[in-house]
Amino acid sequence: MARLFRWFQALAFPAVLIAALEWYTRGPGAGSEALAPPSLALKAFWSAIADGTLWQATAFTLGSAALGLLIGALLGLLLGIVLGLSPRAARMGFLSIEVLRPVPSVALIPLSLLVFGFGLRMEVAVVAFATFWPMLVLAQAAARQVEPRLLEVALALGLSPRERVTKIVIPAMAARLFVALRLGVAIALVVAVTVEIAANPNGMGYAIMIAQQSLDPALMLAWLFWIGVVGFLVNELAERAQAWVARRMGGVR
Amino acid sequence: MSRANHTSTGRAGAWIGWAESAAVLAALVALWWLASHQQWVSKVFLPTPEATVRSLLDGLNLGTAPDAPRGELAGFTLSTVERMVLGWLLASLVGMALGALIGISATARAWIQPTLEFVRPLPASAVLPLAISLFGLSPSMVLSVVAFGAMWPVLLATVHGFAHVEPRLREVATALQMGRAAFIWKIGLPSAMPDILAGMRLSMTVSLIVSVVGEMIASQSGLGQAVLLAARSFRASELFAGIILLGLIGFASNALLALAERRLLRWQKP
Amino acid sequence: MSLLRFDDVAIHLGGREILSPTRFEVSRGEFVCIIGPSGCGKTTLLRAAAGFVQPSAGAVLRHGKPITGPSREVAFVFQDYGRALLPWRTVEGNVSLALEAAGVPAAERPARIARVLQTVGLAQHAHKFPVQLSGGMQQRAQIARCLAQEPEVMMMDEPFGALDAMTRESLQDELSRLVQDSGLTVMFVTHDLEEAIYLGDRVIALRANPTPEHPSLAAMIDVPIPRPRDQLSTKEHPEFLRLRRELYQFLGHH
Repeated sequence: MARLFRWFQALAFPAVLIAALEWYTRGPGAGSEALAPPSLALKAFWSAIADGTLWQATAFTLGSAALGLLIGALLGLLLGIVLGLSPRAARMGFLSIEVLRPVPSVALIPLSLLVFGFGLRMEVAVVAFATFWPMLVLAQAAARQVEPRLLEVALALGLSPRERVTKIVIPAMAARLFVALRLGVAIALVVAVTVEIAANPNGMGYAIMIAQQSLDPALMLAWLFWIGVVGFLVNELAERAQAWVARRMGGVR
Repeated sequence: MSRANHTSTGRAGAWIGWAESAAVLAALVALWWLASHQQWVSKVFLPTPEATVRSLLDGLNLGTAPDAPRGELAGFTLSTVERMVLGWLLASLVGMALGALIGISATARAWIQPTLEFVRPLPASAVLPLAISLFGLSPSMVLSVVAFGAMWPVLLATVHGFAHVEPRLREVATALQMGRAAFIWKIGLPSAMPDILAGMRLSMTVSLIVSVVGEMIASQSGLGQAVLLAARSFRASELFAGIILLGLIGFASNALLALAERRLLRWQKP
Repeated sequence: MSLLRFDDVAIHLGGREILSPTRFEVSRGEFVCIIGPSGCGKTTLLRAAAGFVQPSAGAVLRHGKPITGPSREVAFVFQDYGRALLPWRTVEGNVSLALEAAGVPAAERPARIARVLQTVGLAQHAHKFPVQLSGGMQQRAQIARCLAQEPEVMMMDEPFGALDAMTRESLQDELSRLVQDSGLTVMFVTHDLEEAIYLGDRVIALRANPTPEHPSLAAMIDVPIPRPRDQLSTKEHPEFLRLRRELYQFLGHH
């Protein structure tokens, strides 16, 4: 019973907003090029599912986000571990990182466009850049904070550097890494959609731009809602995964 | 682990650290120089460092050529910065106000927070098409989206901060019979300040991003449009100059906020 | 007339009777200590007296009128001083909070703050933040804020429990002196029997898990040891030892 009420509580506020929008767009705001009744948006949503455009666009965005995250997070993780374990390397790399890190990923969209043209690679490149830095910073912090006692144990047991990293460092970092990954997932998706809105004629961001340009507010609203849903679900998934890892691997200290 | 670096302690150690760091950076620049001059990457994509610097100086009207055309980069930079800062200020004020109202009441949180959590992952730029339909292609349209997008990190952080006020302090406020307004101003807000400041930093990042994207798609004067046009006309050095400026804006804004944060949170460090 | 009267005050929490109907009075200027094992409801009783908790039965009366909520006349000193101080305000600022809440005009505040800080011995540390102070100093800061309220009664919930023995002893003496000089009425909860006898004019012992045959109020004993007291000789005083023996059983030792 309590669970039912919690669902009700969660959905009541948005339900009121949606109802208000429906009323407004059917009444005083009818015929607007910007707003459409949610009921019509729902219809547009179903047609997009039916003719496959929804899945196609979603798959592209998710795919490029995932690929970009894979590349960016992996590189960030590797470099982060190196910098975290070696204070000297961290000191040496400090300026270079501080110079390159503040560049907003969107600033690289035109460059990526120039190099790769429209398509998947261009978007993957920007997402990779965007996810690399937070992963680097967080992985570095996580590696640095590995319990020094454990590293001493590794030395005492005579583990090779590679073993030390794989058997001690990475498991000790696991919980923190998944927190970073969760952040990375969120960033990857946002950047992917942003790239599509700004320049790339593919994916969900492009779909919503097209809807706007065709003066189809119902479809535009449908895409806006869908983008929100996808973002929400992806983040929820990432959060569940992170919580699971935290439980198994001892949580974040 | 590697033996402790004996030079890593003390002032001398700090200087050596900086020198090493600068050396690595210089090495990267040298690599860039080599790559561009040796054409490992086409000049269309990778301009030489000198060309980039020249474009930068010319664009800012600091160039030496007397007959060089008037550079507009300074003006573009200003436009982007203005947009970013104004949007951020609006977003912060509204975000804090709404966040305080929602955060302080457990009831309000219970009904509204789920909706906030749903909106949180939404890319701010996704609202641009809607804003274009509503307001057309104009500077105020971009500003409204910037403010809207940048509001969420501050709002969510404020709600979180107010929701997590030390319960003991709430009791102290009750014992002293402080009114609600006094509680918000003297206890709630300062207590939430670490969260709020972190939210405002995130907000600034969003603000910059949306400003740039907004300029790109709405053809508004600014660095966003400038770099897009540079790419379209295959003017790589101008493109890189614009990227550098955007990087500087990102760096400066973050550094300033970090400084402000350290000053305002002086009471935290032991 | 008594300042505080506990009129058959009973408290139920979570379905259990924490405190069975309890009746006693506190006179103006008295220092009453409350002891008992964990779960006996001593903290709950104190919070009820301060108005944070409403009794399930009976009432706490102040000047003959039932207490319905917190009031500035009743100051409360928490055990976890770190969490009861505003970390972003200096010691001065924290004390000022009480004055601001009471509507004291800004012009009057500095003098009153200085006076109260002098009383607790923190005048030198007025501009420090809580995080820069030791545990004992933080607790003194909290006491200072409570004193700034100029209360009638001061409730203290195991205020020295989290401090080391030496700090505790010196704060006990400072508190005694302060209370003597000001004539403040104090209700002091502690699990430390010797502290209770050392500080109090009267010691109330509570029982855990009350039943009709064994109600919460197990014993109420006056402490006829003369003041001023000191840490060495008072604790060797025959009366002290007698009371200690008599009250020992009420702490749950068997």
